[in-house]
Amino acid sequence: MTDVLKLEQVTKRFGGLTAVGDVTFTIKEGEIFGLIGPNGAGKTTIFNLITAVYTLTEGKISFYGEQIAEADPYGPGFVNGIKRRFAWKPLKPFQIAEKGITRTFQNIRLFKKLTTFENVLTACHRSANYSLFESILPRRIPIINYVLPWSKTLWREETELRKKTEELLKLMGLWDYRDMVAANLPYGLQRKLEIARALALDPKLLLLDEPAAGMNPEETLALMDLIRRIRDDFGLTVLIIEHHMDLIMGLCDKIFVLNFGKALAEGTPAQVQNNPKVVEAYLGSAEEEAKDGEEAGEGDAADA
Amino acid sequence: MSVFLQQLINGLSIGSIYALMAVGYSLVYSILNFSNFAHGGVIMLGAYFGLYALNLLSLPFMGALVVAAFAAGLVAVGLEKIAYSPLRKRNAPSLYFIISAMGASIFLENFVVATIGPTFKTYPEIFSTTPITFGAISVSRIDILMFVIAAISLAILVFIIEKTKVGLAIRACSYSARGSNLMGVNVNRIIFVIFLLGGMLAGVAGMLFGMKYTVYPQIGVITNKSFIAAVFGGLGSLPGAVVGSILLGLIETISAGYIASQYRDLIAFSLLIIVLVVKPSGLMGKITEDKA
Amino acid sequence: MFSWFYIEGILILVGINVMIVLGLSLLTGFTGLFSFGHAGFMAIGAYVAVTCTMQLDVPFYLAILIGGIAAMIASLFIGYFTLNLKGDYFCIATLGFGEAIRLILDNMTIVGGARGLPGIPLDTTLVNVIVIDIIGIMAMAYLIKSRHGRNMIAIREEELASQAIGINVFRYKMESLAISALYAGIGGALWAHYVGFIQPLMFQLTKSTEMTIMVIFGGLGSITGSVVGAFILTFLPELLRELANWRLVFYGAAVIAIMIARPQGMLGGIEITDMFRWIKRTVTGENRRAKAAAEADKEAKTELPGEGGGES
Repeated sequence: MTDVLKLEQVTKRFGGLTAVGDVTFTIKEGEIFGLIGPNGAGKTTIFNLITAVYTLTEGKISFYGEQIAEADPYGPGFVNGIKRRFAWKPLKPFQIAEKGITRTFQNIRLFKKLTTFENVLTACHRSANYSLFESILPRRIPIINYVLPWSKTLWREETELRKKTEELLKLMGLWDYRDMVAANLPYGLQRKLEIARALALDPKLLLLDEPAAGMNPEETLALMDLIRRIRDDFGLTVLIIEHHMDLIMGLCDKIFVLNFGKALAEGTPAQVQNNPKVVEAYLGSAEEEAKDGEEAGEGDAADA
Repeated sequence: MSVFLQQLINGLSIGSIYALMAVGYSLVYSILNFSNFAHGGVIMLGAYFGLYALNLLSLPFMGALVVAAFAAGLVAVGLEKIAYSPLRKRNAPSLYFIISAMGASIFLENFVVATIGPTFKTYPEIFSTTPITFGAISVSRIDILMFVIAAISLAILVFIIEKTKVGLAIRACSYSARGSNLMGVNVNRIIFVIFLLGGMLAGVAGMLFGMKYTVYPQIGVITNKSFIAAVFGGLGSLPGAVVGSILLGLIETISAGYIASQYRDLIAFSLLIIVLVVKPSGLMGKITEDKA
Repeated sequence: MFSWFYIEGILILVGINVMIVLGLSLLTGFTGLFSFGHAGFMAIGAYVAVTCTMQLDVPFYLAILIGGIAAMIASLFIGYFTLNLKGDYFCIATLGFGEAIRLILDNMTIVGGARGLPGIPLDTTLVNVIVIDIIGIMAMAYLIKSRHGRNMIAIREEELASQAIGINVFRYKMESLAISALYAGIGGALWAHYVGFIQPLMFQLTKSTEMTIMVIFGGLGSITGSVVGAFILTFLPELLRELANWRLVFYGAAVIAIMIARPQGMLGGIEITDMFRWIKRTVTGENRRAKAAAEADKEAKTELPGEGGGES
């Protein structure tokens, strides 16, 4: 199996504080890879590093063998900032998404005023290709379509986008809520909608940041099935942060445990569960974690 | 050389007035994170308050300055209560604050036009207009006065912010208003203090500015310069606002002296763009990384 | 007092303002960017178009278009440097830009400098303003419903999430600014050919502010709202002419009142097509059914445990 995502000695410091220190792991194709650790362990920071929201302090990240993030060799700073432009131009978050890594957010970031349908439709934008100029032309007016044949491309592509959106929403069980404004959706559905939106880009790697937060046990079970189904249907690889231990243990092929930004353990669910270090640092309080996971959120090290 | 020194002194004096305005604006920005475009209106009112305190109440200069400062401070606080605090309670996005501020600015300016009239008014001559000469350099008394008073006002502000309990709370709020609130800081009171301080500085600036030039309802437009100065230095940073203002004053007078006075503002605006391109958060602004 | 000539004059002004407000609405209402430099774009459009008609004998419509495109090119330049800035930094940078344009024009003696440029042919009529407005409104409505428009709205709603779904934020902000400047340039050109005289003072910061207030008043994120806002706020001052100087005092107070009472503006996010649809649904009784369904849904929702409040 090919390596999808590879983190090598990844380190992120905020000032003097090391949020993530020397983390190395590899995700294989088709895996569901769990990233766990107590609050503030740096899990979300790792997501932000992968998606280029943050720049690396040290180390590098590669995706299907291609390097997508590297530490800035000159470090931040005004003089070096100019040099940096010649050395290595970090990818922007949208470029990461174009390469096939999409994500959800721990504190849901939907387009709140748009409807469920519009949320996903917007995210499908990469499947259409018409230009800005074409978009201001009248559609479905026969004379204009006849005189300017390319005005039809827009209509054709828009129809395809809508079809794709419909399929996705049906798959995620959101079709009945298509005209509801995202902000008014129940919490669990908002999480699902975020996943649907991330899938709209046909990603190869999906990053899920606490997808089950705020869900009851039945919903969590349904979500597990859904994630598995998505993985199989779309041929995806999934990296998942979660506090619900039953979800992680039942779903993941491999688990990576973080504590205070450092690697604590890595392995299959069974290996991790039996690792004394993990039991001491994390699983001992797992039930509590699962409970307050939903209201506390992750007090990420970056907050300090 | 003497021309240069002359420009330097003029620049410092006008820069110090910009600093008074920019600091008030930056103070509000540091806590509420929006550009208070009504600041110009408060400055304009400060100029009028000072004028009437001198003319109608026939106060001495220092008395009029204090009256102008407090009256302008109260106007700023009143504005906050009417135009901003309802928005604050609703957690409105900063866009709405800006628009509300623009409305307030239009209101204040035209209120003065409607009541006092659009005519230019001049301050009575308090200080002799004969300049003081040091060798080849001559400095007008009002310029020296502006610089000294601005320096004293800023020193008082620095004292309040660095040494008092209220100042500590202000600094805490500028890091995180919500966090400070949780730690028992009364954010509403801090915002009151912020607007009072900013308004008082605006009043002082308005009066000094009116004394140097004239007083008219559109005088608040000058705050555009202080916004630019604040952006130069980095929004929300008080030392940045002061440094940016002094720099802007120097650049203006030096370009007026050596290039051409009509290009003065143009050069200032171009420099603004250049600074932002090279360092998007201003000279002393903090770089923030979005948290996902 | 209300002769047709007078009303026609105001209607032309309304039409011109509609054009500028539409453009600004795309930038502020749909993309969430705040510009104080639109008077600068108007000035560029006006001066370029006037130069075309007066010096080069370019036909009126073409001159208007050239004016708009000139403003657009200027916006690409300014956008390249400023669109990476965050929040108020962008706002102040556009302010600086708008003033800089005015100051440059002040010093350009070739176009009259600060004294202005008189004797512009009065080519703007009610008919051609209406034609241009209709084209402008239609193009904008189509744009909003396309993927480009949707991406702009996404940026307004959640910039970080838009990046995460592969939206090149800088590019779409640039598109928005460019189209917005095109509209402002066309509006400025029309204005110049209506008034017959231009001078840099006409394009001060207050002009930008005035336009922004029209956008807000009409409602953010609504094309209908922008048109209505431009209409009312151009007519209202004329009706309040009796109040003389107090007019703008009320105007300022009204802006604050709107922000406090109805911050989304009159028609925030609502389009006239939505209203038609609503009326149609009410007539057919579909609204009543939908409401009942929504209530049933709400009850079902309250029974769902563990949905909790969202953390923000």
